[in-house]
Amino acid sequence: MSSIKEKFNQISPSEFFYSNRDLAGFSNPTRSLYTAVREFVENALDACDQKGILPDVHLTIKAVEPEKSDPKPYILTVKDNGPGIDAEHIPLAFGTVLYGSKFGLKQARGMFGLGATMAILYGQITTNKPVVVKSSSDGAIQNQFEILLDIQKNKPVIVKHTTKEVSKKGLSVSICLEGDYSKAGNKIRDYVYETSLITPYASITFDDPKGQKFSHPRFVKEIPPPPTIIRPHPHGIDVERIRRMIVESQFEIPTIDDAMIEKVRKDLGLSKKSLSFTAIMDKAKKKWKTLSRQVRVVIALMSFLKMDFEKLNKIKIEDLDIDNKKLFYWDFGDSQSKSVEMDPESQYYKQLTNTVQGEPLTTFLTKRFQRIGPTTAIKFAEFAKFKPEKRMGTLTNQELVQLSDSLQKFDDFMAPDSSCLAPLGEEPLEKGIKKFFNPDFTAVVQRPPSAYSGFPFIIEMGIAYGGDIKSGGPHVYRYANRIPLLYDEGSDVVLKVVNDTDWGRYKVKGEPPFIIVSHICSTRIPYKTAGKENVADRQEIERELRLGLQFLSRKLAAYMSKRGQADMAKKRANLYAKYLPQIAEFCTELAGKKKEPNYKKLLEENAIESKKIEEEKEIDNN
Amino acid sequence: MTTTKKEQTKIRERSKKADEKQKNILEMLKSHGAKIYDDLDNGKFPKFSIPSRSVSNIVYDKKLRQYILGSNNALRSSRNSAQLRSFTQLMWLAFFANRLTHEKKSSTLRDVYYSSQAFAIEFEDQSESDNIIVDLEAVTSKPREDFHIFPEERSSIFGDLNIEYTIPGYEGKTMNLSNHPDGYSIGPSLTTAELVDTSAEIVIAIEKGGLFTRFVEEQIDKKFKSIIINTGGQAPRSTRTLLKRLHEEMGLPVIVLTDGDVYGEHIAMVIKSGSANAAHLRELTVPDAKWVGVWATDIEKYKLPTIPMTESDIKRCYDLQKDPRYQDGIWKKELDVFLRLKRKAELEAFSKYGLTNITDKYLPQKLELAKSL
Repeated sequence: MSSIKEKFNQISPSEFFYSNRDLAGFSNPTRSLYTAVREFVENALDACDQKGILPDVHLTIKAVEPEKSDPKPYILTVKDNGPGIDAEHIPLAFGTVLYGSKFGLKQARGMFGLGATMAILYGQITTNKPVVVKSSSDGAIQNQFEILLDIQKNKPVIVKHTTKEVSKKGLSVSICLEGDYSKAGNKIRDYVYETSLITPYASITFDDPKGQKFSHPRFVKEIPPPPTIIRPHPHGIDVERIRRMIVESQFEIPTIDDAMIEKVRKDLGLSKKSLSFTAIMDKAKKKWKTLSRQVRVVIALMSFLKMDFEKLNKIKIEDLDIDNKKLFYWDFGDSQSKSVEMDPESQYYKQLTNTVQGEPLTTFLTKRFQRIGPTTAIKFAEFAKFKPEKRMGTLTNQELVQLSDSLQKFDDFMAPDSSCLAPLGEEPLEKGIKKFFNPDFTAVVQRPPSAYSGFPFIIEMGIAYGGDIKSGGPHVYRYANRIPLLYDEGSDVVLKVVNDTDWGRYKVKGEPPFIIVSHICSTRIPYKTAGKENVADRQEIERELRLGLQFLSRKLAAYMSKRGQADMAKKRANLYAKYLPQIAEFCTELAGKKKEPNYKKLLEENAIESKKIEEEKEIDNN
Repeated sequence: MTTTKKEQTKIRERSKKADEKQKNILEMLKSHGAKIYDDLDNGKFPKFSIPSRSVSNIVYDKKLRQYILGSNNALRSSRNSAQLRSFTQLMWLAFFANRLTHEKKSSTLRDVYYSSQAFAIEFEDQSESDNIIVDLEAVTSKPREDFHIFPEERSSIFGDLNIEYTIPGYEGKTMNLSNHPDGYSIGPSLTTAELVDTSAEIVIAIEKGGLFTRFVEEQIDKKFKSIIINTGGQAPRSTRTLLKRLHEEMGLPVIVLTDGDVYGEHIAMVIKSGSANAAHLRELTVPDAKWVGVWATDIEKYKLPTIPMTESDIKRCYDLQKDPRYQDGIWKKELDVFLRLKRKAELEAFSKYGLTNITDKYLPQKLELAKSL
């Protein structure tokens, strides 16, 4: 186990991303500017969503030297009215590249700010300027940081920190990066426009480098219910993921931060007092029975480190090597890794080994996965040929693979929980489409939740015809987790489904003025590339898209035939207007009369009739 | 003097008769027009019923010995937008026919088609306008000739027959139809002419122009006291009308001479009992007409040179076997022999035995035979 942990730390995540930035969408100045905009806007929207705040997002892009030709440095600023970030977390949040430590699952646009840090990193690489973060989490004090990244150590370097009084909560992030707005401008404007369609409850403004202002005020006043965080589904998991979960379950102590120390002090009744190491140990012994497991582990660690709280504050636990009975830690004081021996005879040793050896399999399953009860857990253990009480920390590599395979193959798990999804909802989607396209016809549908490989997903779709929509359709607007997807549409599963449709069957012919909006919500969108632009054709997703589109297409067909009827009525009226006068002319001579018969009444009657059909159509439409 | 007076009376009677007929036609058209006029004036969509000409409504009338339309009627309404166009076309045709009849002017099927353009009436092609003309016939139960609409002429007549024209500018003028060896084409003026007198005792209708010329050259008209008519294949309706009049007004028997194949047999049948296409009309048949050859049995009897029947010839035989008129007599017998032989012979086949063989040998035998048919 210990060897695995060491591997994680061998290369700094910052360094990894630095050398692989193409993967994250920072391949060239055009794409990078666009990706940076996306990351910050999406973070802002996510932050507001999570706290149920109606988002106000302001995006500004300014050229540092406007007269210079592209590519050139730009200052990109995204400001929101979200909850802000507490001052103490800001350097860590913006100054390190985090690797996934969150196993809780819910639908969000981005994965815990990874992309934003990449953007900061890219900005720093290309312009050597710090990121400027202004945050107020209480609506009174705003902390302003200028932070640089130490790429090798994956640590923030605070260049400047000031505070000032403000009256509003919110976060503003500003980076300087090399970009090419003349090439990226179209995409960025499209992005802002399309984002406002799928986020109708947000107000988004964009001040572009040429001095143009784009404003998309909110037109829905209610925010959709936020998703709940859920545990992963066993089908959606791989060996690597299980490893990390085991590490988390057995080694819950690496973050001995201020808050943790505060908690330990409080639980020991030492909030105010500053005691020596031995005094703390005595106190802990007396209070042991009342202490939580977390606190017990901290005490156990302290017993081997032989440190008081003050010293503890200056280190970071790195590894607990049970095989060699060693405890490794990072000393911030002299910036080096150190270790202490652990005495296996110590009463605290078992506390730590138990922690490291982890939970029994059944506990691991019921506690860390969604929708697994004790009965299922035992049934599974039998299926996977493990003892139910098998300690997770003692699994060999081979056993891990066996466990992972069995988790995939076991069919008696319940379907994935979809409460972690946050679709937009049919009503706001329809409102958005109507506002954006002013169409003659609109239909939307939200499919029931479904799942692929253990990941739940929901498909939302809309279709609109006529009105302000340009001909040459269908134009497809693709969204995934409320993000518009603008690049690489050719290979996308939605496009595949749309192109497979025989529109003639739905009475849509020629170059029709119509659009399709598709929104895939999932805890994990199966993107084809890390750039998050096209969705892979997973069979389950394709099926749901197909069903959704078929449902909408049938509605469109019904509308089209009604529209056809109205056109027919008009044509009919024209026919009467053409032929009745001729009939009148001929029969007048035939009947030997001088004056033509009064056939005008018939024409009027007919006009009324076709008008009636037109009105019926209108009513149906509304 | 007395003869002249008699003739003058006759002429007056004839022109009175023609005027009467014209008056009837005009009256009928007027009443149709008035009905539609009143409907329009009363804010109603005009409509009329028209005998259905669909296959299911064509039935064979044994008493009349021809095909007639059954009792099914179709409603043609100007309210129905799908019928509006054809309704208007028909109205125009009635209007145009009214002018033709009124002014005693003649027109042809093709001429009608082109005339429509002057009135902003659209016909896709001539077959569409031809079809509307059939509609007018069906509604009025009158042949188009009554409205002065004729086909492009192609059949002709030769023989000692005096006629008197009734068309404007020629009223009272007479003509003997043996004056011109090429024969006279059977057009509007001849169809509407009065048949005055004849020395002929029989009418020979022949399918082909070539044989018609041969018959004139061989003076068949004189040798057999006959009037010779070239039907030019399937006899046009004006020709059939003329045949009927020669039979009924002049009391002449009619015999038909065709190629020795199933189509020839049917040409004779159409002269005798009409066609399904004209089931909406009467007065176009000569029920007593006799088909005298070339029969299938003649092919064997006269050892005529033959060619094999084609697929479509054979199919036609089977089709006609279902026709009620082919269920007995020589019609059935000859059809069966055709099917057995699967070969056919042209009228010209007799040339094998000399150019005049058909007139010298075959025709006299057939004329003799006809008396007993």
